[in-house]
Amino acid sequence: MNAALALTRRLGAVLFAAAALTATGGIAASAENILLSHAPDRQQMILEGAQREGQVVLYSAAIVNQALRPLTDAFMKKYPSVKMTYWRGDTEEIIDKLSAEERANNIVADVAEGTGVGELAVKAGLAQPYYTPLVEAMPERYRDPNGLWTPTRLSYFSIAYNTKLVPPDQVPKSYDALLDPRWQGKLAWRFGTASGTPLFITAIRIARGDEKAAAYFQKLAAQKVINFGAGSARTLVDRVIAGEFPIALNIFAHHPLISKAKGAPVDSQLMDPVPSTAGTMVIPKGIRHPYAAILLADFILSREGQQILADADYFPTRSDVAPKDALASIIPQRAGVPELFLSPDLLNRYTESSEKIIEKLFQ
Amino acid sequence: MTVQSEALTAPGMANLTAMMRLRTVSPLVIVLAAILLALIVPPALFLIDVSLHETLPDGSFGAFTLRFYRALFSERLFVSSAVNTLLYAFGSAAIGIVIGTIQALIAERTNTPGRKLAFFAAVVSLGVPHILYVVAWLLLLGRSGPVNDLIQLVLHSPQGINVYSIWGMSLIEGVGFVPFTFLLMSAVLRAMDTSFEEAAIMAGASPLRAFWTVTLRMATPAVCALALLGFVRAFESFEVPALVGLAGNINVLTTTIYQAVHRTGMASYGEAGAYSICLVGIVALLLFWQNRLSRQAHKYQTITGKSFRPRILDLGPWRYLTAAVLTGLFLIVTIVPVAILAFTSLQPFYEGVSFEALGRSSLDNYRVLLGPGSFRDSIVNTLILGAATATFVVPFTALCAWLVVRRVPGAALLDHLATMPLVFPALILSVAFLDVFVNMPLPLYGTLISVIIASSVRYMPYGMRYAYSGALQIHPDLEAAATIAGAPRAALFRRIVMPLLTASLVSSWLVVFLLSVQVVALPLLLVGPGSEVMAVTLFELWQNGQVTELASMGVAWIALMTVVSTVFHLLTRHQQLAA
Repeated sequence: MNAALALTRRLGAVLFAAAALTATGGIAASAENILLSHAPDRQQMILEGAQREGQVVLYSAAIVNQALRPLTDAFMKKYPSVKMTYWRGDTEEIIDKLSAEERANNIVADVAEGTGVGELAVKAGLAQPYYTPLVEAMPERYRDPNGLWTPTRLSYFSIAYNTKLVPPDQVPKSYDALLDPRWQGKLAWRFGTASGTPLFITAIRIARGDEKAAAYFQKLAAQKVINFGAGSARTLVDRVIAGEFPIALNIFAHHPLISKAKGAPVDSQLMDPVPSTAGTMVIPKGIRHPYAAILLADFILSREGQQILADADYFPTRSDVAPKDALASIIPQRAGVPELFLSPDLLNRYTESSEKIIEKLFQ
Repeated sequence: MTVQSEALTAPGMANLTAMMRLRTVSPLVIVLAAILLALIVPPALFLIDVSLHETLPDGSFGAFTLRFYRALFSERLFVSSAVNTLLYAFGSAAIGIVIGTIQALIAERTNTPGRKLAFFAAVVSLGVPHILYVVAWLLLLGRSGPVNDLIQLVLHSPQGINVYSIWGMSLIEGVGFVPFTFLLMSAVLRAMDTSFEEAAIMAGASPLRAFWTVTLRMATPAVCALALLGFVRAFESFEVPALVGLAGNINVLTTTIYQAVHRTGMASYGEAGAYSICLVGIVALLLFWQNRLSRQAHKYQTITGKSFRPRILDLGPWRYLTAAVLTGLFLIVTIVPVAILAFTSLQPFYEGVSFEALGRSSLDNYRVLLGPGSFRDSIVNTLILGAATATFVVPFTALCAWLVVRRVPGAALLDHLATMPLVFPALILSVAFLDVFVNMPLPLYGTLISVIIASSVRYMPYGMRYAYSGALQIHPDLEAAATIAGAPRAALFRRIVMPLLTASLVSSWLVVFLLSVQVVALPLLLVGPGSEVMAVTLFELWQNGQVTELASMGVAWIALMTVVSTVFHLLTRHQQLAA
């Protein structure tokens, strides 16, 4: 930002109310030592430090009632002298808020977590490296070699179909089966967010290579896929249940299972490969409570924390915590379908060009 | 700014204007303008910045560029989007104004049985969060909705209606606009001296002709205010274009532009900023045109020193027809969407309306709702937010509107400033305010106060349009009389203008209250941990929840808003009667 601009903007703030700016920061220097500590007394050190700091703030995209509230209760039960509060927003909002706080050097968050938070925070240069021994319980492919993020929960993507509108023998079982003329105008996908259409496009590009993928997209565009413009992947599944769209592409594979258990006419169908992503956790630069931040990060990745997420219908990243039985059938390894893990790094490299493909062919 | 000589017809007017013109720009105008500037300039600066600079990955501004403005006009879909936007804006504003005016005429000027229900209907519809309102209409008119089921049953044709079209968009947005029109028109009609109508009828005009040639003509400024509001609203609206338009492959400017926001994976508000800056220009033109219209203000001044009682037209047996019209509108605007939400809220999942589905009804969704968290924690914050916003906006805009209508030097600026936020798209306004508060020296970031300030700015235009239409009706001779009797200006405003404006102000307060408690995008980024407001919870359900849970939340919300509005109505009715 150039100086004149900075001045105008500062004037704007002064117009709003005139008062002196109180400087923050100062602990950033030692934060690095705390967050990257491998010391044998690490546990003791961060616990004592967190108790001195007395509070920690989590920004998360997880559901409040089933996940954030029990997580907060459990954390404060275990560490009564550290007061934990949370703010819930979507990934894009978390990043907007974090980057605004970072620019103003007025950082409220200590830890941020959500699907896509890792890649966007890394891209924006908001994240600082941290070490937690708990990642060792996670499969290697879900870890960040640069230590900027850790995986908190997994998501698997599939199609959802209405079982009354799509007879069992006609359910498309592969991406190519979606090109059958009978599905023209009957496929819908979630438009306008990174975890919607671009993820689908990116997965096909990585699985088939750009050239073959381009041919596939041409044919898919001829199917006149319906752009579902607002609302979440979950509400798109609800529209499939209502019979509005027979098939939805690229939805969270476990959502249809939850509704199916209640008797709804919906199911999910995995396709080779099954795209998967990780919800990721970062520690922003310049935070006020580094001890408490790493204590909370440890807690979320611990068996206890992961169990709370599993109880809230998420898929844990630890191999030693099982997801809910009712949801396990869509885990690619169990279903015998290959998984394609889209790491934050991969998504960062592909999303922008995938968006361009969508703009050109599907809008 | 000149006062045209034709306006100087009333005795006393000359004195008053002469007195006001003595001072060049009144200090009061300066103070009000300063407050408005302080509120509006910071987010507006952000919009300008964002439209003129590259946004770097960390959200800061990079090099100067005009490419967003170029991109805006060279978008592949620009021409078709612009045409669609115009159709949609005209269509929805027309539908909203026609239905709302008919409702208001019947409710205020005839002896139709049950006419008081119209007020209730408007308030209930305003209480429905907009996004739920759209969902309800889609559940109703969608491919698997009861309307299409019925068409197929009766006509035996597989082809039903397709709601994912321009007319579907206009209908849904237009019907959603009806409560605004109704409340404003009925306030205007209530305060209108009917002696002109009586004269027309005495001169042999039929009541219908008198309505058409006199009443409606006199309400022109109100209709213009509504047209402005409805038109710009459609230009800025997002829910209907995104949910209805996109699914039918109909692009309007907002959807084309919002697509650009997340195109690169990182949020980039450049094009959205450029779009809203262009809209500021369009609105300035519309306001200029409206301002010219109000130069002939004396034509529309219907509140004079004479006492009057609004004329209630005895329709005889025809009143049952108007009752049927009113009931029909009540059904369409309020009952049907609310009923479909209520039905959905009882379902474990929504699979169309059928007896089979009725058998699956349970209160499970409400149990989730009333459990710890979702509803209870945020309710107090939400009511504070709505009441504080409305209580600030309403008297503030009343004062501004009065000064504008009285053509106090410099006051036209107040109108432009207070109306400008109408074109700031909610999505980008929240980012702008985030930027303002997080950088502010005062520790307001994350507090409820910051949300109140932001929503005051957002809903200022609504307050302004309501107060403006009301103020335009007041003939200056009352004020002139008070001035001659030696009343200071503050007393003049408080004791004469405010009471005369009551009908408009009550509508305005309710509208601002109901809008500010349900707005979603704005508070989301501004609240901090632990100071959630209701709409944020609602938004979370919208993002992660199931349609059925969302519907139960909506129904509970509508019930609560109905209670709040009814209490408010009962409390203020007494005052209105006194005024």
